[in-house]
Amino acid sequence: MVPGTTFPQATEINAMFNESTFRRFVKKNPHHHMPFYARPSGSRRDFFRTLGAAGLASIPLQAQVVKGQSVQTQNTAKNVIFILLAGAPSHVDTFDLKMTNGITPGTFNSTDLKGVAWNTGVFPKLAGQFDDIALVRSARAWAAQHTLSQTWVQIGRSPAAVLGDVAPNMGAIVSIEKKGERTAGQIFPTFLALNSDGAIGAGYLPATYEPFKFAPNAAGLPNTTNPDGAVRLEAKYSLLQGLDNPLRVNSPYGDPMTDFNAFYQAARGLMYNPAVDKAFKYSTADAARYGTTTFGNALLTAKQVLEANMGTRYIQVSLGGWDMHNNIYTTQAGQNSIFSLGKVVDDALSTLIADLKSNGQFNETLIVMMGEFGRTVGQLSATAGRDHYLQQFVFFAGGGVKGGRAIGTTDAAGARTAEFGWSGERDVRVEDVEATIYSALGINWTNIRYDDPFGRGFEYVPYANEGLYKPINELWS
Amino acid sequence: MKSRAYITLASVGIAISGMTLVWGQSPEAPVNADHADHAECAYFGPKRAQFMENTLGTARRTRSSFSQETEAIVARLGGLDSTRQFIPGGSRTFSSQKGSSSGNVVDKHIFGVLQEKGIQPAARTNDYEFVRRVSLDLTGRVPKPERVTAFVSDSDPDKRAKYVDELLNSAEWVDKWSMFFGDLYKNTDQVRATNTLRRAEGREAFYNWIYNSLKDGKAYNRMAFELIAAEGPNSWTQGELNWQIGNRTTGGPTQDHFDQMAAAAMETFLGNSHFNCIVCHNGRGHVDTLSLWGKSASRMQAYGFAAFFAQATFVQQPRDQRPDPNIYYWTVGLNRNGTYALNTTTGNRPPRQPVSGARVVAPVYPFGDAMTANAGESLRTAAARLVTSDFNFSRATVNYIWKELMVRGLVEPVNQMDPDRLDPDNPPPAPWTLQPSNAALLRDLAQDFIDNGYNLKSLMRRITTSDAYQLTARYDGQWNPSWDNLHARRLVKRLWAEEVYDAIAQTSNVAAPITITVSTRVPNGAVAMTRVVPAAMQTTSPASRGGAAAFLNPFYPGDREDTERRRDGSDQQALTLMNNNFVMTRTRANAAGGLLSKHINKTDRELVENLYHTVLSRMPDESERATAGAALTSGNRQQAAENLLWSLYNKVDFFFNY
Repeated sequence: MVPGTTFPQATEINAMFNESTFRRFVKKNPHHHMPFYARPSGSRRDFFRTLGAAGLASIPLQAQVVKGQSVQTQNTAKNVIFILLAGAPSHVDTFDLKMTNGITPGTFNSTDLKGVAWNTGVFPKLAGQFDDIALVRSARAWAAQHTLSQTWVQIGRSPAAVLGDVAPNMGAIVSIEKKGERTAGQIFPTFLALNSDGAIGAGYLPATYEPFKFAPNAAGLPNTTNPDGAVRLEAKYSLLQGLDNPLRVNSPYGDPMTDFNAFYQAARGLMYNPAVDKAFKYSTADAARYGTTTFGNALLTAKQVLEANMGTRYIQVSLGGWDMHNNIYTTQAGQNSIFSLGKVVDDALSTLIADLKSNGQFNETLIVMMGEFGRTVGQLSATAGRDHYLQQFVFFAGGGVKGGRAIGTTDAAGARTAEFGWSGERDVRVEDVEATIYSALGINWTNIRYDDPFGRGFEYVPYANEGLYKPINELWS
Repeated sequence: MKSRAYITLASVGIAISGMTLVWGQSPEAPVNADHADHAECAYFGPKRAQFMENTLGTARRTRSSFSQETEAIVARLGGLDSTRQFIPGGSRTFSSQKGSSSGNVVDKHIFGVLQEKGIQPAARTNDYEFVRRVSLDLTGRVPKPERVTAFVSDSDPDKRAKYVDELLNSAEWVDKWSMFFGDLYKNTDQVRATNTLRRAEGREAFYNWIYNSLKDGKAYNRMAFELIAAEGPNSWTQGELNWQIGNRTTGGPTQDHFDQMAAAAMETFLGNSHFNCIVCHNGRGHVDTLSLWGKSASRMQAYGFAAFFAQATFVQQPRDQRPDPNIYYWTVGLNRNGTYALNTTTGNRPPRQPVSGARVVAPVYPFGDAMTANAGESLRTAAARLVTSDFNFSRATVNYIWKELMVRGLVEPVNQMDPDRLDPDNPPPAPWTLQPSNAALLRDLAQDFIDNGYNLKSLMRRITTSDAYQLTARYDGQWNPSWDNLHARRLVKRLWAEEVYDAIAQTSNVAAPITITVSTRVPNGAVAMTRVVPAAMQTTSPASRGGAAAFLNPFYPGDREDTERRRDGSDQQALTLMNNNFVMTRTRANAAGGLLSKHINKTDRELVENLYHTVLSRMPDESERATAGAALTSGNRQQAAENLLWSLYNKVDFFFNY
């Protein structure tokens, strides 16, 4: 966190919004409203957290009321792979390339791809797939603090806002929305979090929509075989069933969400299942195609899981190490730099895109990649790095998105948006990215769920009904 | 939106005069010209009534779901059986019709309400259930089989109370509550949100302070006092400095520290997390439907409390052994000239600007009669004094402990206590209701806590020796979910992650020590210093779980930052208990000195009884004996025995505290 960083003042915020939309917004919230601040994270999250725990988890949701406006969703994607570049990558060194004389390494090899400056030195393979990639360069984060913004990005709203602390991860919303689409044989969790142990969970939604977290491994999903073998496991399990008394069939509570038995049955379904092995195990050769890195292994697993078509719809993958306050351009082995981490991304993501294309799932799988904010532009810091900065990029591919171009431009340094590039006529925000993801999946982003703990209504996208945030439809045209 | 508001106004029949909205009879919320254009706002307009009702109604509805899980689990524990309902002669019994005659303050209020409402409480829990339940609740361990036998066959009418004392005086009690308070005080190696480092040394020091305070029976008001008021040169040797350090805030002016410390003090010691909202903005228009106190609380009042922390200073002290800027400890100091100035425009909170010409905020405690520091008293000491002498400090502490022992807090959620809705002698105006499920109980138990010198053991004794604590989870009538908060039956809960780990290690008799890193200093390139603990309950922070983390994590132990400890289940828990090698190796007959090896050469009957007795702290009923016996006689006996032990670790009554 850079001491003394100034945050947007009220006048600046006015300029960020479409004027009339903002005036309507202010009229509804008529005090000198500065919507978002970098507040210490964790504090408000804690106090609302307990509302989402225990008690609420057991309520059957048949009483849920979901209401939204009549909208036209893009509905081109079945799946989402959401890649969080944790630590905040430098936008001017990656996907909003700015060659600053005497600063930017020449090896970046800036290449003009259909009018977009591309860092071919760091992303040579992705360069070849530019026609499949759409970049948003007019994006701006609300806050330059890691935990706060990483949470913001996953829940698509301010963590410090009223419902921020009970807000589910976008993946949990997708999970609950797509629940009805699961067929009997689809036993994989809808929401998977790979290398993302700190992934935000299901918020106030029942625990069944929590992300299934694990670190991909060549040996596959852990604890899905019994060390004594399948035959012994059968014997064990049937003895267990014999000892435990059967559940009362006429319980007045129906089928509680937290039914112990349900977890065991789901777990059994994942065991000794060739589909599970096929999806979660991988060969050295395949891992090598993805670069033999933990990130590569995660994208490989994601591809296999989607291929299996066993109910998984939203996969969050984290790649950390981007917080390059020091030596951002170092080539020293073992150091995180644009070169080292960029290569990890280039190798893995290009292979993922190629594989999805060859198995026919590219057009129905939306890939979204972003950090929690960007990094300072122009001169490097005193420690040869770049510090926190609000301007950022968002990378889209697949899911029917039209590639080979960028939406929006920034000024010469990459400091502020110069052209917005979309109908919102303002900076693209995380909330818009959220709306875009829902729209891509055919989910009404204006939905409000009335099953939240306050009975106030939980909006999938804040203020979507007032049109303040909305999908970036230009990605499809 | 505008048209909707008018329609609602008309339908509710509210008089409008000009642009001023007159709503209800709510004198504490006068609508003046400043707020005239809030007429359309959902928080102030007619919708407000709907929110209040929805919020309170939803809150009431959601709280009733504890019993759902209880019903489901209890159903699997089986029906009536003479073995499992065994109540040996001589133990104190009571007639649930007449209510409790214990004279215990808990019973007076719990049974008082049940009688008043004509609700039949559940039956008294039997000795097997009691010995396991109270052992887990007070020490996080399951009782050893010898102790179970001795307890059940003891004919002393006071054996339950005596067992409670035995547990309270055990080393394991200190372990469990060190973990509990480590969670509450958020003892971690670093605070990720602000990148504040305690490092392993600071975390160990903090743990040791907690541990020793509990071991020495330090009064809880003294513990809280020390945490709030602590000053000292070295956070690595003076553990109590680490609570304040954890609330340091980066990326802003010093007022951000003061605000965060104030907010943390409110939540940790007064159970009031709405205060953290008020530090940024007035309550009006934000927490109106959440907190009666909050809705008229002002940011100035919050500053008034934060001002008590304005003398705090934090200085990093680099270790001089190695000039690595990342290795440092903290000095927490006092600057007697520190004041809370209204002169910020940047940082983590909205701008703080002079109000009515006042550029500095004087410290004023936000509750009660404008209390402030005494002459010569440092401000932090004053804050510690005011917080710990607040009656709600006792209420909040009692509520935190009550929740841990009784599964459902008297106020839920436990960190959303509303100061204006707690006092049964001063109830809030309609439609607000008293917040606690039994406000008289909370008041009297809080007073009892104070009268006993804020002694934690005495509080826990009061609760666990009550008849209300000793109800069973089974209910023999038609249960009504709205009775959940009346404690008419025991509510079940899953074991903590650490409790599962330790129960498996202890009962299988195969040790599972964990290596904790206690120092990250690496003098002369030597390996970082570690120590080994025999039980997960003795780990000192999330980072210190070491290799055990992989087993523990699916059971949601929390990380003391963004992720709280949870009581939910998951598929991964089932997969872990069924297949993880931690469990599997301990179910084998060839585990050296293991439970199975100890009993495998006994008769089938004895083998089954011993496994049940050790792992589940009870005897098998007839149908379990038959099933287990049949398995042992068909096929490979050793494998069947291993399967049996495996089954017990996967049984619902292993995994739940009932």
